[in-house]
Amino acid sequence: MTGVVRWAFAGLLAVLAFGLASVVLQIPGTGSALRSQVMAQLPQSGVDHAVTAVLLNFRGYDTFLELVVLLLALFGAWGLSDSIDEAPLDTDIDVLTELVAFLVPVLIVVAAYLLWVGAYSPGGAFQGGAVLAGAGVLLSLCDPGWRSRRVERIGEVLLVPGVLVFLLVGLASMLLGGQFLEYPRDMAGSLILLVEGFAMLSIAVTLHTLFAGTPRFGGGA
Amino acid sequence: MSGVSLLVQPVWLILLPLVGSIMVFLLASRRAAVGVAVVAGNLALVAGSIGRLGITGPWQHSVGGWGAPLGIDLYLDGLSATMLAMTALVSLGISAYSAAYFSAAAARHFWPLWLLLLTAMNALFLSRDLFNLYVTLELVGIAAVALTAMRGQREALVAAMRYLLTTLLGSMSYLLGVALLYHSTGSVDMVLVGEAPIPASVAAAAFALMAVGLLLKTALFPFHFWLPGAHSSASAPVSAALSALVVKVGFYILLRLWIEVFPALGDGVAWLLGILGGVAVLWGSLQAILQQRAKMLVAYSTVAQLGYFFLALPLVAAGGSRVWGAIVLLVIAHALAKAAMFMAAGNLLAFAGHDRIRDLDRVVQRMPLTAAALGLAGVSIMGLPPSGGFSGKWLLLQASLEQGNWPIALVLLLGGVLAAVYVFKLLEHIFTSGTPLGEPRAVARTMEWAPLMLAIGAIVLGFLATTTLDFLIIGEPFVPGRRDDY
Repeated sequence: MTGVVRWAFAGLLAVLAFGLASVVLQIPGTGSALRSQVMAQLPQSGVDHAVTAVLLNFRGYDTFLELVVLLLALFGAWGLSDSIDEAPLDTDIDVLTELVAFLVPVLIVVAAYLLWVGAYSPGGAFQGGAVLAGAGVLLSLCDPGWRSRRVERIGEVLLVPGVLVFLLVGLASMLLGGQFLEYPRDMAGSLILLVEGFAMLSIAVTLHTLFAGTPRFGGGA
Repeated sequence: MSGVSLLVQPVWLILLPLVGSIMVFLLASRRAAVGVAVVAGNLALVAGSIGRLGITGPWQHSVGGWGAPLGIDLYLDGLSATMLAMTALVSLGISAYSAAYFSAAAARHFWPLWLLLLTAMNALFLSRDLFNLYVTLELVGIAAVALTAMRGQREALVAAMRYLLTTLLGSMSYLLGVALLYHSTGSVDMVLVGEAPIPASVAAAAFALMAVGLLLKTALFPFHFWLPGAHSSASAPVSAALSALVVKVGFYILLRLWIEVFPALGDGVAWLLGILGGVAVLWGSLQAILQQRAKMLVAYSTVAQLGYFFLALPLVAAGGSRVWGAIVLLVIAHALAKAAMFMAAGNLLAFAGHDRIRDLDRVVQRMPLTAAALGLAGVSIMGLPPSGGFSGKWLLLQASLEQGNWPIALVLLLGGVLAAVYVFKLLEHIFTSGTPLGEPRAVARTMEWAPLMLAIGAIVLGFLATTTLDFLIIGEPFVPGRRDDY
């Protein structure tokens, strides 16, 4: 019986996929209309890469909210972490320690490079942040001291500047008479780098915290 | 830009709760006090926006200064302001309740998530961009799931997982529809997409995908399977927020799509959704009558009440703004009444240690305010005068009779009778004596006053129905097409 239901379901999905495919084929090719607008406004955006211009300037508000999504994911996971027991780590492995000592500085440089290169080719805060978070994961695998209370408190504070700096830049642009997140044209490039720098830091700490877990956030209680 | 006009920018509606969430996250104590202050501030900001809307008319804000289609436009008209006001009022009630409800340990998880949920809902009601709406939908969904799971019990975790998978599937389906629209129109701005010529088959597929995604989130029958579990297993203030507010955001987007993006939808679609709504009213009410636990009864009542919003859709083609206005009245009335009911049910649970309806014992003498809240909220849910629920249903009944649409009139009347049965089932056991099963525990005063105030709000809405309907149509949200008067 389950088999029959499963096949029926597969058949239904196949029909749906076929229907969607035939619809997609009927769409006239007007989707590139926006691309020409992006290219036309690119010189005004402060960066030379179309994707970065869309993500950090034209639709920077979406990216701002995406940073909030990350923070939200962390708050949500943190709400569940009280009931999770952590297994002790085996950190006394020479190969791991040697490798990490070699890799972490390289990863930090790679992350900074990815952030910088985002202005004119693929890269940016999310990519750099992911690499940096990887370095943090490696560190916490081989050094329990990395997860001390003091480091946790620093990490906790570093979760928020990504969103906060973005928000302050947005507010500053409103104070200067523009709309929220409307960068002054001649400062757009530096502001984007500023926003992305702090975003990278917070993304890295958020991803690392999601991996390592910090059940004692918020002090007290 | 002068100081005053900077302050009444509705952008603050997004920024204030966001900053508040970060603050309560970093704080070591006084989280509840800061949280309540932020939600009260949010209400003040909404009041300011409403005042500005009354003076200057609809308001648009091009984030980043680019404007559609390159950038993202925020937009405030009577409809979005009404939804913001509903959210702000109900949130304040829920926040006052939560300040007393949660232990210190639970509070540090609750407040950051709760303020982010408020941020997300405010951002959603202000957005006019189909992709940005997707981002805000995800924010709302993840915050709602995290709040459900927060309680940590097995039952809540299972319900939260089911809720997560459902809401993600809904988001994906919606996003697929957005992709189709973007590909065929080159824009994700709601108004621009609505004006662009879209091949009929593409429009049908995009609407089907987006509608199914949103119906999953709104829990219209038969997509309601996840709702009773999630809404009944969460903690009381979270249940109130889920049932009163979170399910409404999907309906709000669907309403906007219906009017702005797909104005040419045929009667067939309206009837299909209307029939599903009618079945939801009857099925949800019958299930509510059969429940043995108070919170499950209230949760199934939500399934039924959500049905009314869709039941009325076949009437909008001929009824226009009046029918839409009646639907929105029902949305607000349900938000106020249902938040009150869930918080009152939470009081019963906290008081008696269980919420088995049969064993509830003369709560009216020990908690008269909670009993009054249940009674008044029940009046609005049943649709008795004077209440917001009555005004909305009365207008719909009028429209259905004018249009000679007797099936809808019949379901409206039958739904009211069934609602009376389950509301009185709850009230009866509160007023009559049973066998006390344990030592009752005291409930904080604010936990009694918060639901009572919201229930009174549901009644007062009945007197303010005309004012609300007049305010709602500022900027003509129920007429498709671009409006250049902002």
